[in-house]
Amino acid sequence: MRWTIDHASRDRLQDQIASCVRRGVASGELPVGEQLPPAAELGIALSVDRNTVLAAYRDLRDEGVLEFRRGRGARVAAAGPALSSVTEAAEKLIAVGTKLGLGTNDLIRLIKDLT
Amino acid sequence: MTSLPIGEPTQYAVYTGRTTSWPMVAATSAGALLIVLMGKQPDSTWSDLVIVVPLILVAIGVLAEVLTGSSVRATAGPNGLTVHWGLIGWPRCTYRLDQIERAEVVDLPWWRVSYGLWWTPKRTNCTVRSGPTLRLSLRNQRTVTITVPEPAAAVAALNEASVF
Repeated sequence: MRWTIDHASRDRLQDQIASCVRRGVASGELPVGEQLPPAAELGIALSVDRNTVLAAYRDLRDEGVLEFRRGRGARVAAAGPALSSVTEAAEKLIAVGTKLGLGTNDLIRLIKDLT
Repeated sequence: MTSLPIGEPTQYAVYTGRTTSWPMVAATSAGALLIVLMGKQPDSTWSDLVIVVPLILVAIGVLAEVLTGSSVRATAGPNGLTVHWGLIGWPRCTYRLDQIERAEVVDLPWWRVSYGLWWTPKRTNCTVRSGPTLRLSLRNQRTVTITVPEPAAAVAALNEASVF
């Protein structure tokens, strides 16, 4: 499982961590029942506070993505929506953009402006 | 949030993975029990020392195997490679980036699998299955071979981190 976060981003760190988990669940990289790394370990690896990781895990638990078990850490509780729908939408966006003469960088800038 | 010192990278790419080998634990337990049963004399009872002592030793061996060798948890990133062995995450070891000369993926044949933690003066092996495996060559000439679910992703995370 690959975790990427940007400390300089406008997005909160806990949201970025939660996005990594959602992406992993949606892509099948994190199957149901998979145990996530302990918050302290992940916090050290990503250079964030343990409580930031715990906040991300708690958000995901509230969404039903994760479940906490006493003494066994956080586990994936349910499979998220498949990424295929996002891929299809992205392909449509690229097709329309290409028709209008927009390049990859233009599309990335457009998405960044909208988010 | 932890504030980063000036000059520290702002982007972090980290790989985490866990490999657990329950078939290995089951096979070890079954094999150990079989050895004890085969060694039991027909006229001896279960309370005889000749049975109790080997049983205790086997139980300790299987417990040690379960605790240290059944599961490998690895984290690769800017802090190097941290490995936690076994169900309780101990023993553990960290190989910092400045200790690592090269990280690569090797194809481990089944006869080279250590099935648990194995230490020699030249090598540290903690492999629980054959196939693509992460291998670190350290600057002190030691090699570290560890089973992780996606060794290529672990190598990529280490290489990205060493660029900073």
